[in-house]
Amino acid sequence: MTDVIAAARAAQRTLLSEVEAKQLLAEAGVNVTETRLAASADEAASHAAELGYPVALKVVSDAITHKTDVGGVELGIADEAGLRTAWDAIHARVAGAAPGADLQGLSVQPMAEPGAEVILGITQDQQFGPVLMFGLGGVFVEVLKDVAFRIVPLEPRDATEMVREIQGFPVLEGFRGTPAANLEAIESMLLQLSEFAEANPDVAELDLNPVFARPDGAVAVDARILLTSEA
Amino acid sequence: MAVTRERLTRALAPKVVAVIGDKKASGYNWLRSMKEFDGPVYSVQVDESEIPGIEELGIPNYKSLTDIPDQVDFAVCAVPRQVAPFIVQGCVEANVGGVTLFTSGFAETGEDIGVELQNKIFEIADPAGLALIGPNCMGLHVPGLGVRFNRDQPAGVQGNIGFVSQSGTHGMNFSLTGAAQGLYCSTLVSFGNGIILEAADYLEYLADDPQTEVIGMYIEGARDGQRLFRTLREVAAKKPVIIWKGGQTEGGGRAIRSHTASLASDQAIWEAMITQVGAVAVHNLDEMIDVVKATLLTKRTQGNRLGLIAMTGGQSVVLTDAFEKAGWKVPTLSDESYAQLSEFFNIIGGSYRNPLDAAGTIGQDPKHLDTIFDILDADENIDAVGMELSATFMARRWQDKPEEFDRLIGSLKRFMAESDKPFLAALHPSHVEEAALTARKRLQEEGIATFPSFERAANALRKASALAAVS
Repeated sequence: MTDVIAAARAAQRTLLSEVEAKQLLAEAGVNVTETRLAASADEAASHAAELGYPVALKVVSDAITHKTDVGGVELGIADEAGLRTAWDAIHARVAGAAPGADLQGLSVQPMAEPGAEVILGITQDQQFGPVLMFGLGGVFVEVLKDVAFRIVPLEPRDATEMVREIQGFPVLEGFRGTPAANLEAIESMLLQLSEFAEANPDVAELDLNPVFARPDGAVAVDARILLTSEA
Repeated sequence: MAVTRERLTRALAPKVVAVIGDKKASGYNWLRSMKEFDGPVYSVQVDESEIPGIEELGIPNYKSLTDIPDQVDFAVCAVPRQVAPFIVQGCVEANVGGVTLFTSGFAETGEDIGVELQNKIFEIADPAGLALIGPNCMGLHVPGLGVRFNRDQPAGVQGNIGFVSQSGTHGMNFSLTGAAQGLYCSTLVSFGNGIILEAADYLEYLADDPQTEVIGMYIEGARDGQRLFRTLREVAAKKPVIIWKGGQTEGGGRAIRSHTASLASDQAIWEAMITQVGAVAVHNLDEMIDVVKATLLTKRTQGNRLGLIAMTGGQSVVLTDAFEKAGWKVPTLSDESYAQLSEFFNIIGGSYRNPLDAAGTIGQDPKHLDTIFDILDADENIDAVGMELSATFMARRWQDKPEEFDRLIGSLKRFMAESDKPFLAALHPSHVEEAALTARKRLQEEGIATFPSFERAANALRKASALAAVS
């Protein structure tokens, strides 16, 4: 599990790639969309064939923090022809928006079935150590700052309470065509992250944004991990 | 070395007290504050010019702690900072239980010399297991034993509130303002820099202290946040804990690259921590006093539906607004209640939908108030009862006809004794405050939870109820 962190430390990186972050989380039992790194279009096509279409392609680069800002993301790719077109399109856009950025490749992942978008995160508090955050994704978190925090370690009751503490909670109970989310799946993901934070003091910040909270479960579609500045 | 519980108990519930370094220039504040102490008090002062003044107070003075022919449990030290390490060494040699270092000028100054002296004190006190309170603090107040750090603090009264304060001022203000409202501490500690004993140590002591029924805390920051968090979690499961967090600490200069970190303000994390441990947060001294009062003087309910009794129509409206804004419901009463009320309620200039605008009805016959209380007690739509006591309309009348006020008090106490539903009263400041003051004092003596505004009453009962839901 520490291999990913050790490799990043060796390369003097503090920001893990999405592929690395998801690998760490998957090893900790957190449900993430399986994501593989491809160095070429052929490799991407072979990953996609195994993972199953439709897929998403995202740029992987230490130099790029916000993938969408540089046109580094293509979603809902239906087949291999589309995949090859998207591969070239992303490379062209990124070359324009972030000239000279060193790319490790593109990540390939199956498109997850959507649900209510929620955000789960970890940060380090100066006084209390690791802290967990939960909120609804998009405008709820960015504009309304409608989030709940808890200090690690969480007890099951804490996970139950923090999910219900946010103002937007009714959205998770089913709202305007979005089916009710599986709250137990969100709660167990919070408890997994609490254990993950305790086991990985090197993790300074983590965002799972978004997590799709569906009636049948919850899956993290994107993951970002920042390590502490000193090992 | 950790301070043992036995040592801590000697310090916080002392039988013998010494005051080190008190002097005329400070008005012998420390010695005079110990005047009501329930046991021997000794002075330690080496300055010959100060000794006669101390002996005039009737307090025996010694040149050194070890000369005192008695085992000192608790010492107060108010000496210059350079001398403080020697005094702490003396406390260790004389096997004093604990010492309050009022002396300041240590790490809080940020100066190298202050940090050095503080480290020196730690090096002496820590291996000896000395229960050192402070430095840079007001120390200990135990009204039941007459231990005080301010002469206006109560003595000879056994309180039931444990209070832990990082600030001397807020600790003192709580003890003084609280006492003026009939709220007394069991043990209050102002712990300042907390180099040996910190908030978590005092919380653990108060959690086990049989005199302490509720715990209040004023805190600005924790040296070991995880320990405080874990301790609070255990303590709040045993006793109600009310926390006033002062100040905002800096987030630090770290680069933040996630949503989570950008949203995790100091305020948000402390509020979350307080919720998580099952305590409640308050934001100023008044709110601390209100919530402590409601916790001690009202019964607990899991429900949120209030029956409200007001003296005028206008007040019944804003009383309802205040409680509903604080998360309470003011529902319609049961059909049986309405049937009973319709038999006697005076609806000319009054109404009884809920709130009950009842001045006319009670004025007609004071027994009607008991009947209203009985109806609200029996009504299954109602979980708690609040009442406006109008100083504006009633204070002069209560002064002129004290028997009417006695009767009112009797009705309130009867309801409080007979009903399981919490009761609270609001008595606003008015133009006849000199008359209202007598009423306030009396309500307080009778143990009736009375608040100076509807908003404060509503908030206090809500927070006290949130505490109840946890334990």
